[in-house]
Amino acid sequence: MDDGDPRDLRSVLAAWALVHELADEGWKAAVARGEAGPRDAPGPGAGAADGTSGAAAGATAGGTAAFVDAVAAQVHREKEALKARLAGTDASAASGGRVDGDAALEALRFEVAEVRTRLESIEATLDALHAHLTPDDEA
Amino acid sequence: MAGRGRAIAATALRTGARVAWRRGFGLRRGDAASRAAAREVRRGLERLGPAFVKLGQLASVRPDLVPADLAFELGALRDRVAPHPAPAIRAVVARELGAAPDALFASWDDAPVASASIAQVHAATLARPYRPAVGPVLPAGTKVAVKVVKPGVEAALAEDVALAYRVVRLAARLPAVARLDPAALVAEVEASVARELDLRVEARASLRFARFFRDDPRILVPSVVGRHTTRRVLVTTFVDGWRLSDLGAAERAGVDAHGLAVHGATAFLRQVLELGAFHADLHPANLLVTPDGRIAYLDFGIVGTTTAAEREAIAQLLVATAFGDADRAVRASRALGLALPPDREAPIRAAVDGLLRTHLTERHPADLRGFALGVLRLLQRERVPIPPGYGLLLKSLVTVEGVARALVPDVDVVRTAAPTASDVLLRTLSRPERLRARAPAAVRAAVRELLA
Repeated sequence: MDDGDPRDLRSVLAAWALVHELADEGWKAAVARGEAGPRDAPGPGAGAADGTSGAAAGATAGGTAAFVDAVAAQVHREKEALKARLAGTDASAASGGRVDGDAALEALRFEVAEVRTRLESIEATLDALHAHLTPDDEA
Repeated sequence: MAGRGRAIAATALRTGARVAWRRGFGLRRGDAASRAAAREVRRGLERLGPAFVKLGQLASVRPDLVPADLAFELGALRDRVAPHPAPAIRAVVARELGAAPDALFASWDDAPVASASIAQVHAATLARPYRPAVGPVLPAGTKVAVKVVKPGVEAALAEDVALAYRVVRLAARLPAVARLDPAALVAEVEASVARELDLRVEARASLRFARFFRDDPRILVPSVVGRHTTRRVLVTTFVDGWRLSDLGAAERAGVDAHGLAVHGATAFLRQVLELGAFHADLHPANLLVTPDGRIAYLDFGIVGTTTAAEREAIAQLLVATAFGDADRAVRASRALGLALPPDREAPIRAAVDGLLRTHLTERHPADLRGFALGVLRLLQRERVPIPPGYGLLLKSLVTVEGVARALVPDVDVVRTAAPTASDVLLRTLSRPERLRARAPAAVRAAVRELLA
């Protein structure tokens, strides 16, 4: 997920959590449960990105409540990242415009390269046609 | 044609007899007998050749049409055939590229690296440097894989497809068979074969995957060499590595199998949920582990696709599965086109809850294959029509689990899927139009909570 994307629900929730730093005890408890791994369940916020830490491997249960706790933990981490960016410690936040521009340029470069690949393929077919139409002594 | 027809009829009869034997002529029931009978059908299709292998491969992603056990068994269909002689392959290359392999490449190996019924692969080296669409320039001398469609394959496939149409037309006189619309399945086979025979389609899929995974150092997609790629010839960089079945050697060489299993499962989910296109033909020959610890995807001949709406529903279903949430699973299933009869919804929901607990919640590691088979059997028992996309999803998830388990037998794919699925779900739910639609209800709920 791209950091700082205004359309990102997690970012929106993180911003809300930051503004309301006095988040209530219920919220904090949900974050703690999500960070530790849901009661029985693994959560997206429960472990490392590869899901290898947190609750006991393979344990799943808890339904919607477990999912909400895990999301709460994700939002908490997003909030900390947002705090860091606002504190000016995240240099990438300042160069966000540049990053977008680079991505657009890279996408365009790929489009061109893909067209070039197709043209080369057509050229190979034309070469083959030419070779077949040209008598051997001329070739 | 008549000779081929007789050969097909003989093989079909032999296979039918074997299936009847495995089932004890109708007296033997149960999972073991079903699996044994399904294995016989798979072997029969492999004996019948490429068009029938293709038919089986398509049926394997249609558990809505064939019994669940058979659909899963057909997923293991392979076609391994003797290679065409070198002169015939050289002639195809010369016809397609206008020059003999020796003139096009710095070196060319007449001994094939692999041979399937549609194409075979030869190793060669580039004569000149090449700049691929994704990745660094390939210097002269780079080892490449040259995939060549075998001569005569197109005509043989067309003959088999025509025969298959005749057979299904006859079979469709039986009402039970007509209900399955077998002619539509053969038409799918015809279209799929046409796509596979045009290697430029595979080249484009390969480029797309290479770009998608360009920033993932643990995934390798071979680079396409456009100037030597045509309808019948595809040239890509050569990948050296171990098949999943030879992983003992990889581990002895220091490859982190567990890390790769987890990463591979996540990469597959990203294909399904983010790219909207996924490698639909994963088997040991198409997935290698490289000496530098990467997963290499080969052969993009069969690629599945998902729409944006399907991706959202799939993410919901994955989250539901990972968190043991039967209500969410049923809601997401409905969004994927599963029409549950209102009077049967409660018992089906209870049964899904039971399956979630038996195979996922109370099992370590989770057993996705058992869960998927259980759901499909439940729906078939309850006579709930299974949408094709839904069957494909369940099959894909089981494939992910199978591949990861080949790397590490006790890896938990459900647990691995949770972070990727919930990331995609949150991103989907945060689309402005979704937020606008859900905002009033969310505010009402928040106010209710505050005032409670």
